[in-house]
Amino acid sequence: MRTTESNKSILAKMTGNRNFGLLLGLVVLLILAAIITPSMYSVNSIINMLQNNAVYGLLAIGEMMVILTAGIDISIGATLSLTGVVCCRLMAENPNVPAVLWILLALLIGALCGAFNGILVGYFKMVPMIATLGTMYAFRGFSFLFSGGQWWFPHQFTEGYLKFATLRILGIPSILWILVLVFALAILFLGYTSRGRRIYAIGTNRESSQVAGIKEERVVFLAMTLCGALAGLGGMLYTANYATCSYSIGEGYEMTAIAICILGGVSISGGKGKVDGVIIGFLMMAVITYFISLLPGLSVWSDAIQGAIIIAAVALNIYMERSAERRALKERSALI
Amino acid sequence: MSGEKNIKTSPVRDLEIKQGFNLSKFLVSWEMVLVYILILINIVLMVKKTNLYFSQGTIQAIIQSGMDVCPLVLGMIFILMLGDIDVSVASNMIFASMVTGLCCASGAPAFIGVFAGILAGALCGAFNGYCVAYIGMPAVIVTIATSMLFRGIVKIILDVNVLKVFPSFYTTVAWVNIAGIPLSLILFLIMGAVFVFILHKSRFGRKLYVIGNNATCAQYSGIDVRKTKLIVFILMGAMCGIASIFFVGRMGGSVSSTMGTGYEMTAIAICVLGGVSTNGGKGKVYGPVIATLIMAFLTYTLGLLEVDANSRKIVTGFILIIAVLIPNVNRQLIANIKLKAIYKGNKNVEALNNRTAEEVKALKNAMAEIKKDTALNESDKTAKIKKYKDKIASLQKKCKEQSAAWLQEQKEDERKARERFAVK
Amino acid sequence: MSEYILELKDVVKTFGGVTALDGVHFQLKKGEIHALMGENGAGKSTFIKVITGVHQPDSGMMLLEKEKITLRSTEDSAKLGIAAIYQHVTAFPDLSVTENIFMGQEIKNKFGIYNWKLMTQRAKELIEPLSKNIDVSKPMSTLSVAQQQLVEIAKAFSRDARILIMDEPTASLSRRECEELYQITEHLRDEGVSIIFITHKFEDMYRLATRVTVFRDSKYIGCWDVDKISNQKLIAEMVGRELTQMYPPKSAQIGDVVLKVSDISKEGYFKNVSFDVRKGEILALTGLVGAGRTEVCQNIFGIMTPDSGSFELEGKAVKINSPIDALNYGIGLLPEDRQTQGLVNELPIYQNVSSADMSRFVKGGRIDVAAEAKNAIELCQKIQLKAKDISAPPSSLSGGNQQKVVFAKLLSCDLKVLILDEPTKGIDVGAKYSIYEIMNELTANGYAIIMVSSEMPEVLGMADRIVVMRNGRIAGKFDTDGTTQEMILEASLKHEDGRES
Repeated sequence: MRTTESNKSILAKMTGNRNFGLLLGLVVLLILAAIITPSMYSVNSIINMLQNNAVYGLLAIGEMMVILTAGIDISIGATLSLTGVVCCRLMAENPNVPAVLWILLALLIGALCGAFNGILVGYFKMVPMIATLGTMYAFRGFSFLFSGGQWWFPHQFTEGYLKFATLRILGIPSILWILVLVFALAILFLGYTSRGRRIYAIGTNRESSQVAGIKEERVVFLAMTLCGALAGLGGMLYTANYATCSYSIGEGYEMTAIAICILGGVSISGGKGKVDGVIIGFLMMAVITYFISLLPGLSVWSDAIQGAIIIAAVALNIYMERSAERRALKERSALI
Repeated sequence: MSGEKNIKTSPVRDLEIKQGFNLSKFLVSWEMVLVYILILINIVLMVKKTNLYFSQGTIQAIIQSGMDVCPLVLGMIFILMLGDIDVSVASNMIFASMVTGLCCASGAPAFIGVFAGILAGALCGAFNGYCVAYIGMPAVIVTIATSMLFRGIVKIILDVNVLKVFPSFYTTVAWVNIAGIPLSLILFLIMGAVFVFILHKSRFGRKLYVIGNNATCAQYSGIDVRKTKLIVFILMGAMCGIASIFFVGRMGGSVSSTMGTGYEMTAIAICVLGGVSTNGGKGKVYGPVIATLIMAFLTYTLGLLEVDANSRKIVTGFILIIAVLIPNVNRQLIANIKLKAIYKGNKNVEALNNRTAEEVKALKNAMAEIKKDTALNESDKTAKIKKYKDKIASLQKKCKEQSAAWLQEQKEDERKARERFAVK
Repeated sequence: MSEYILELKDVVKTFGGVTALDGVHFQLKKGEIHALMGENGAGKSTFIKVITGVHQPDSGMMLLEKEKITLRSTEDSAKLGIAAIYQHVTAFPDLSVTENIFMGQEIKNKFGIYNWKLMTQRAKELIEPLSKNIDVSKPMSTLSVAQQQLVEIAKAFSRDARILIMDEPTASLSRRECEELYQITEHLRDEGVSIIFITHKFEDMYRLATRVTVFRDSKYIGCWDVDKISNQKLIAEMVGRELTQMYPPKSAQIGDVVLKVSDISKEGYFKNVSFDVRKGEILALTGLVGAGRTEVCQNIFGIMTPDSGSFELEGKAVKINSPIDALNYGIGLLPEDRQTQGLVNELPIYQNVSSADMSRFVKGGRIDVAAEAKNAIELCQKIQLKAKDISAPPSSLSGGNQQKVVFAKLLSCDLKVLILDEPTKGIDVGAKYSIYEIMNELTANGYAIIMVSSEMPEVLGMADRIVVMRNGRIAGKFDTDGTTQEMILEASLKHEDGRES
């Protein structure tokens, strides 16, 4: 068995890899974009593109952990808004406090929001979709209450606050450094620590997890708390990146985050999906949105294109699974 | 088990349904709870804003304010009944509105516009249904994507324009009262009755229950699961088309691409509040119908009480969460919490305490009877009561001691376990 | 009395009012293989979960080498060297073999970071002696059931298990795989591991165990030396009474051919399968689990459609593309798994009964519930269903009565051919008898029955003719008269030349 495997051609091995299709899609996209808008490829514009999408990356990583537990969190857009508003308001009122406090505060508020979801889903066994639908309403409402309907504009932001997103280190803005750090930590966490692997375990088989002594509630709680914390971080960085804030930020971001996860090959039924896939999904989404924004008159197309891409990605995924099944059947057939 | 061998001789069992209508059960059913909530909100409103409540047109206005979402709610009941979900309904509704609007703007007769709108909705629904039922994609994902897609198409076609030509009856539907009853409510109740018939009386409704509870079994029972799913999604789409009438009318006969966001969540929230389980197979049409009214009264009442729209969102959110949590709070859960908190998870202690409590209760009852007994003289009474009191005290003491001993033992065991497993 | 490594005394476990274990005793000697037997629902599975710490007993004592222990979780039991291989293999299908082996005891560095390299290497070392064909980096779901069990054994090895519990490990293994498992089990015993072997098969018990403990109805019945108890006595202890007659007498008249299956094939499942079944006849379709029997039934019933071949119903060629077609032609299927395929536990019995043919009760667009209930009551009374009333949910019934509800559902349709896929699986011995009676009554009424069964005595006791399948093909056809268990076994096993399933 093993010998035949090593004999397979490199191409076959690559096509067997889950990420191969994704990478191919990304390359095609990049080439297409280059043909239509050559101006897209300058170092600056690429950095710009990534910077404007970085928040989606953070959300997608959080969302991914929740989806891996066979759940879903649609409150992250509201969490992002709540943390953004709280941080902005406190920052504007206390400009002299060191800015690092705000990033910690954002993580804390986000984690609290996520923990609340985690309690509902993990301990009270609510359906994730419904629980987070409820908290989505609630968080967005709190966000408005705290903002008092107010907007914050660039002149109200302290320099230290803005630096968390825009300070260039080696020519790359800090928001991207943070994103890379989060990606790295996620790879480490989900691949190499027992808590991270437990997230996969309960997603793949809950009954086995119980027998193996894995406390399902705790794992769900952890995943949702982390997801909330990342959304909180995203909220703070969003406001720092754009230097504006109101309670309405982040509306619909949960959908984009879910879309990135799906593009990245995370299975909605839980247990399957890798961080590298999500990173590729994130890059694809970034290229698409940026590409669309570059072409005049195309910006109205963005929603429709995103939707169509998700449907195509899921359909492709299903097709690939089916053909793999058919191959397996054929192999079995030879034995009869 | 032992009787089954003599199967031929055993008597025929009576399998008739014995329990008929049960009033006390009916009164605590979820639908009735919703009715109580509705009454409660009305009372609050009546007390807080007496003048307004009794002034003309207030109730009608409240009801009208909540009716634009009602066709979506009805359609969503069926979708949730299957265990699926459709978050594209708001986009679909806008899409249907746009089709009607474009038809009317181009000078087509009103009925063609309306028909085209409903057809467009149904087609969108059919697309969702095909992806879910025949391709086998998860409903959440498909409808998230199509909600972007449908609204995206509206954005492409309308850009920032607003469509303003709509049949005049649109606004009639949303704003006119007939004999003091809002027309929209009448229409809603008629549609509700149709849905009640379909779900609770017809064969199609039964199929939905079977599929929602166990799709595999439905397939083995000769039910065409995929076709049924497709039909339900098409129906949902058509309801989106109908919702566009209510919605556009409510908006005063205009539509743009950014309108109606969040309606899908409201519709789902109302269904869940109405007792329809998102896991499928559970719930009735009555619940969401009442819940639609509750939602209307609630948002309006909060508005009158000077709670702003966004704070109302908080209330909506928590109501949703609580509505799902309440049915889970039952005797079993309370007993479990008590077991964990008071008896430290020791079932022996729990059983002992329960037993003692029962015995004490019996003794107390006996005591009360003696007190009432007029045949006995006072001194006898006091003597007997004292005897009972002593008995109760001794029972409780014994129970306490035993519990303490057992808990001590358990603690000791646990300590040993900790030590043992810490070393290894 | 230090010969006992593990002792349980008076263990009670309840789940919210349902008693799963009622004062159970158990004694395991060092280095023995101890069989634990009992009908389904006798409490065996709960018992294991108590020993491994998944559940904590409500009361009672557990002694490990004469010392009282309290297990708080599976982690504790693992530390004491207790490991279990569960009945339904409890693996994580999407995770790799390596990760499955090390689940809960991963090799980490001091920062809590996994050392995958070392784990993979260790996993290879553990698997190698058991099987050479398992790639430890592959997901568990790509392995066969037998291979998955080997992985579970490797997992037990990796924990230095002193006590190993095996819950019906042979239930879905081929004979050859069973033999391999026996050898591995014996090898483990020789290395000093004490083994609790839970099984339904007497063969397993005679081949391996030295002592046997029997549970019945959540209670401890007794413990015997295997060589000192007769088969008959053991069955009686398990069932609670002597079984004088296992199979009811038959009275059906066998008529013409009703269904003829010619040369059907389905890629990946079976090839060139042909047989026919006559009116009033019970045709048994037997063979090992995985031989393709269930799939053949599903193809006849339209769950899948065959790639080639044809069906003939009463002389006419028919095309069956879905269960709807099958039911219209008069072919019904009693599925193998009644919980997921046969019943809707949330709906009342009468709705379950009518679910396969609701159109009969539709009047003016609505379902006539009274007629529906009446029909269900009639059917259920005929088959002696024991229920509170017809509106009770099937989940409130015992396994045998649940199966009767599925029967009633089929009977409410107008059928000619009944396919029964393991009709007595998971049903206690007493209830089996009444299922057999129903089957005989049906054939007497002119039904043709195709019965899939793995139980040899059932096949010989009930069927008129027997078709044996092996590895997706028909391996033999027999008339029941003059056929012995050995002949069927030989047909279902021959030519299994050294191929790993």
